[in-house]
Amino acid sequence: MTQVALPREEGIINQLKDQFPEAIKETKVDRARRVTITFDKDHLQEIATFMRDQAGFDHVKGIAGIDYPTHKKIEVLYFTGSFSKPEIQDLVVILKTELPRDNPSIASVVSVWQSAHFHERETFEMFGVKFEGHPDLRKLLTLDNWDGPPPMLKDIKFPEMGQR
Amino acid sequence: MTTPPAERKPPAPPITITKTAEPSTLDVSVGPQHPGSGHLRMLIRVDGDYIVSVDTDIGYVHRGCEKIAEYRNYVSNIPHLERPCIIDAIHLNWGYVLPVEELQGVEVPPRGQYISTIAAEMNRIMNHLYWVAINAGVFSGHTTIFMWAFGDRDLFIELAEMLTGARLTYSFLPPGGPRRDLPAGFGEKLTKLLDYFEKRLVEYDRIFFSNPLVVARAKGIGVLKRQEAIELGVVGPVLRGSGVKYDVRKVEPYGAYADLDFEIPTYEEGDSYARFMVRFEEMKQSIKILRQALEKIPKGPIARKAPLVAPEGEATGRVESSRGEYTVMVMGDNSDKPYRVKIMNGSFRNLIALPYLIRNVHVADMPIIYGSLDYWPVEADR
Amino acid sequence: MMGPRLDPERFGLQAVAGGLRQCDLIIVEGTVTKKMAKRLKIVYEQMAKPRYVIAMGDCACSGGLFHDSYSIVNDVHKIFPVDVYVPGCPPRPEALLSAIVKLREKIRREEVFA
Repeated sequence: MTQVALPREEGIINQLKDQFPEAIKETKVDRARRVTITFDKDHLQEIATFMRDQAGFDHVKGIAGIDYPTHKKIEVLYFTGSFSKPEIQDLVVILKTELPRDNPSIASVVSVWQSAHFHERETFEMFGVKFEGHPDLRKLLTLDNWDGPPPMLKDIKFPEMGQR
Repeated sequence: MTTPPAERKPPAPPITITKTAEPSTLDVSVGPQHPGSGHLRMLIRVDGDYIVSVDTDIGYVHRGCEKIAEYRNYVSNIPHLERPCIIDAIHLNWGYVLPVEELQGVEVPPRGQYISTIAAEMNRIMNHLYWVAINAGVFSGHTTIFMWAFGDRDLFIELAEMLTGARLTYSFLPPGGPRRDLPAGFGEKLTKLLDYFEKRLVEYDRIFFSNPLVVARAKGIGVLKRQEAIELGVVGPVLRGSGVKYDVRKVEPYGAYADLDFEIPTYEEGDSYARFMVRFEEMKQSIKILRQALEKIPKGPIARKAPLVAPEGEATGRVESSRGEYTVMVMGDNSDKPYRVKIMNGSFRNLIALPYLIRNVHVADMPIIYGSLDYWPVEADR
Repeated sequence: MMGPRLDPERFGLQAVAGGLRQCDLIIVEGTVTKKMAKRLKIVYEQMAKPRYVIAMGDCACSGGLFHDSYSIVNDVHKIFPVDVYVPGCPPRPEALLSAIVKLREKIRREEVFA
């Protein structure tokens, strides 16, 4: 299968690598229109501001957490896209970072991308990730007096789950 | 290759959830019991007849879909992930199956793509009919359109039952392609229904969308400007009613949409009436797509066999559901159960527009704004 | 079911018109989450007696597809007594209509043997 050249996807990777040489850890063009970039969590605000102002990615589609109990880390993924620039409207750039599992916390991007407001609240509730600087970090979906652990963590096995 | 720095546009004003109340205000709880759309609670702060601010309290229908998805195999996940928005089940099914097929390396043959497209557009019409009956009709006090739209929707449901075997929850698209082929006589029945429905849409326009009462209640209410819509990240008819021409069917074509000719209705005003009209026009475009798909559908197999396991890796797929861009990320780990399924649906992304728009409006405007956003609580809560 | 096809008004069923206190029947359709269960009990207690309950759908009857979730209540009859169960996922509107007819028979029997 011939490798098709993907100039826009490569262009974004090169832009970020030029601007933040030490913060970008890993980059990958998964396929056409999908780019995954792993970065260091302390540079989140600068990378987010760059993505919004220079690259034109103006919103967050969602924020996902993935729990790896064996590697003792929680990954946080930001799915970003662009509404305002037609030439990159079909790209989905996934910004990925790692947090330590025992005390996961990261800066909030709500001041850069307001669309992340409710997604950060949900990730806080489901994985226990604290987003510093979020104006209203409280539970969203579970019971009012839920005092249990964050439900989506892998080692939380509710006894009924998977039973037939 | 560096692009010149773009002009930095100032961000939209942040959502204010006022914690301390003024002495003249009263906190009223609207909900959580909502027979029409689903359970959500809006804690509104009223000052006389004006709503000062709204705090949305969701999660009354949170069933833990993403956690359950890790305990079921890929095919068993389909009936369970299409139930968040039961009236739009094909799109939720398709959105989940696209990344699974990408992980497994399965390609659906062209006839299967056309059948999926036909089912999806029928589902879009059914969804918009439910919306116009309940969210636009009953919430604004208009009962005739409720009766008419539900009556017409039943005809589409009968056809869907002929195609898939179920009225609402089809589970029609396992990985690899649709379950069943078009039955004999389906094309003629659908064409007859589309001819009838096109005439009905003219009557809907006269009785509802051009009704002076509805126009007076919805025009100029809940205005979401273009830049605000982009900053808030809303999707679907809410985004297109604010002047942004963005539809996944054109941006990243899937199914048979690349071969079909249709338009994306967009309105510039950004008020509730614009959002009403976007959905009305979308119904007309769906009729156009269905007619073309029935003509152009090729012969051949409808599905390919997909393996039961998925290799390691992540895949993200998206479709344009009736409420907006529906994105699913699936992560496989060489077993028959996914490691993680992340769902980003239209209702949850539009949730941010509720406290943003329902501010300094009359109490009577609240059902109109809520209805025009077409927020489906069960989908947002998963 | 409330639409023009099946028209439950001819069987004596009308959607809530005046307020909660004048209702006689509550139809629990769909999954009952723990967060909602508290409010459901409040709604049930606000109804004036005699009051009846129809549990519609597999989720309301016994948990259904989401039976092993951490956030739902599997047995609605732990919250309040249920009169008629309507299985199905989702149940056909004709099944719900026949449940209403069954409920009317049950009410008539109660009046005879009360």
